[in-house]
Amino acid sequence: MMILERWGTVLAGLALIGFFMLFAGNFAAPANLLNILRDTSFLAILALGFALALTTGELDLSVAEVASLSAVVAGGCIQHGVHPALAALVALGTGTALGAFNGFGVTVLFVPSLIVTLGTAAIARGVTFMVTQGVAFVGRWPALFTGLARGVTIGVPNLVWFLGVISGLVYVLLKWTRTGAHMVATGEADEAARLAGIATARMKRLGLTLSGLLAGLTGLLLAANLSSASPNMAGDYFLYAIAAVLLGMTMIEPGRPNVVGTVFAAFVLKVLGNGLILLGTPYYVQDIMLGGIMIASVAFSSAVGQKVSFKV
Amino acid sequence: MRVVFAAIVVLLGLTLRAGAFEVGIIGFQFSSETHARVANAAAAAAKAKGWGVTLLNSEGSLPKHAEQFDALIAKKVDAIIIAMGKPVEADAQFKAAKDAGIPVITVQSGASPYALFDIESNEYKVGADGALFLLSQMGFHGDILEERFELNVASRIRGKMLDAVLSENQGVHVLGKHAMARTQSWPDDVRSGMQALLLQNQGKIGGIWASFDGQAFVIDDLLRAEGVKKGDIPLVSMDGGPESFRRIADPDSTLVATVSVPFEAMGEKAVQAVDGIVVHKQKVSSFTPGVYLFVDATLVDAANVRQFMR
Repeated sequence: MMILERWGTVLAGLALIGFFMLFAGNFAAPANLLNILRDTSFLAILALGFALALTTGELDLSVAEVASLSAVVAGGCIQHGVHPALAALVALGTGTALGAFNGFGVTVLFVPSLIVTLGTAAIARGVTFMVTQGVAFVGRWPALFTGLARGVTIGVPNLVWFLGVISGLVYVLLKWTRTGAHMVATGEADEAARLAGIATARMKRLGLTLSGLLAGLTGLLLAANLSSASPNMAGDYFLYAIAAVLLGMTMIEPGRPNVVGTVFAAFVLKVLGNGLILLGTPYYVQDIMLGGIMIASVAFSSAVGQKVSFKV
Repeated sequence: MRVVFAAIVVLLGLTLRAGAFEVGIIGFQFSSETHARVANAAAAAAKAKGWGVTLLNSEGSLPKHAEQFDALIAKKVDAIIIAMGKPVEADAQFKAAKDAGIPVITVQSGASPYALFDIESNEYKVGADGALFLLSQMGFHGDILEERFELNVASRIRGKMLDAVLSENQGVHVLGKHAMARTQSWPDDVRSGMQALLLQNQGKIGGIWASFDGQAFVIDDLLRAEGVKKGDIPLVSMDGGPESFRRIADPDSTLVATVSVPFEAMGEKAVQAVDGIVVHKQKVSSFTPGVYLFVDATLVDAANVRQFMR
């Protein structure tokens, strides 16, 4: 039973991958698997940010809009001839600043994260339209910039490097550092952690700021990969990022946002989308199946006695 | 368990159904009716030929659009049709398709060096036709209200053509304009924006221009609720479709004309082109000598609306 609790969703995911390998032509082709892995990186990095905020007990509902704004900021800079390195820094800075603003709203203004991050999302959306006037930044951008996402280093796509490094850093932060332990304690028992001397407000600010930083990185990589930046370009990732974190919470460390679970869940979600296309299923069936599999995964975990909960 | 089993059977059925010829069709945003009309018509035409069809909706998301494109290339479909795609943004995917030997035909997307051609209505002409018809209904004199949508290429071009027409016809002035936001609740946005303009300018409005028919339907309902009769305040927009034609023919509606873009015919033309070029090995030049295959949009008013109604 313990194995099913921790690994049930993983096994279900692996079964899904096995199914597509058997029945979806070309699913197991190296080029296709690489595509899935590259696509996973955007979602997983964004989801890891959401998971960090959730680890401290806060919801960041602005991640997708912040990512879109960061993409637009990077795109605007590149379009105006700014050096790619500076454009990347400005994009990351934008994400970080908005994340820090969320943290300020929650811990200084005492606005619930649900509200403040929704407000930030609306502000970010408005600014992207103000900057772009609704027209995407598009062009033949410098290879130094697009190479961030499209390039290959030591035979491995840069996007996979980004995913590996970010996942590793977040894992180390949460598992092997005192700050990470304080973040987890803050999320699991806010008041008890505060009485134990943990600077819970600082931990929440850190979680939300890191969430903003990773949203900024996601936007930057999206812009580099597509050589364009348009308003709401990361909007589609919002629900998927939440889904990845929630699905991740049903495995490895049940009931708690965790790095391995989040990344694996993001991969499975991308496998599902890709596999259903290869099977030739119409687009609406994909949405229906995605919802069904998400509910079934959580129901499966609950059925083996697992309680998934998180604090809003 | 039975549900899971049934789902597997359905999926297997879909896999086994995959026929000899397979076409992938991507619509960029099915929540926009015109995208769905092109893609659905193409899918229906392809199915009528007995082809396997993978119909995909990018839901307006560029990253998803690129992912779906990549998946179709990995699937090694025989051809790809894209409705309202983004050839510049998805440049890498278009190139990958060409490198993989998969022909791509686009509809209302703009040209790409990696696609065979783009099937287009000329939106500049659509905009000019709509604007000139409205002004002609007003005798080239009076004041108009505008309902714009600047965040969409086609409707933005139509607005620019209205500006060009107005600049050459100084007897018509703009009383007020509202630009709708790109939100899922855009009909409410149009309703509240236009309601304010109608109240503000009561008795002075000579005509109303809307950048696409969906906006015109909302405005038509508003005008009818205020007791405006057909022809009192001529309302003109662009796109075409059964509901537009019904309203033009309806004596109680204030919509007097639309410029009908043949979205279904464009989707069908894309399938005909795939059939000719890929299946029957005809030359691309037998369909169009250039990178665009233009189709005619028709101004539909009371005089010819019956021929457009089924």
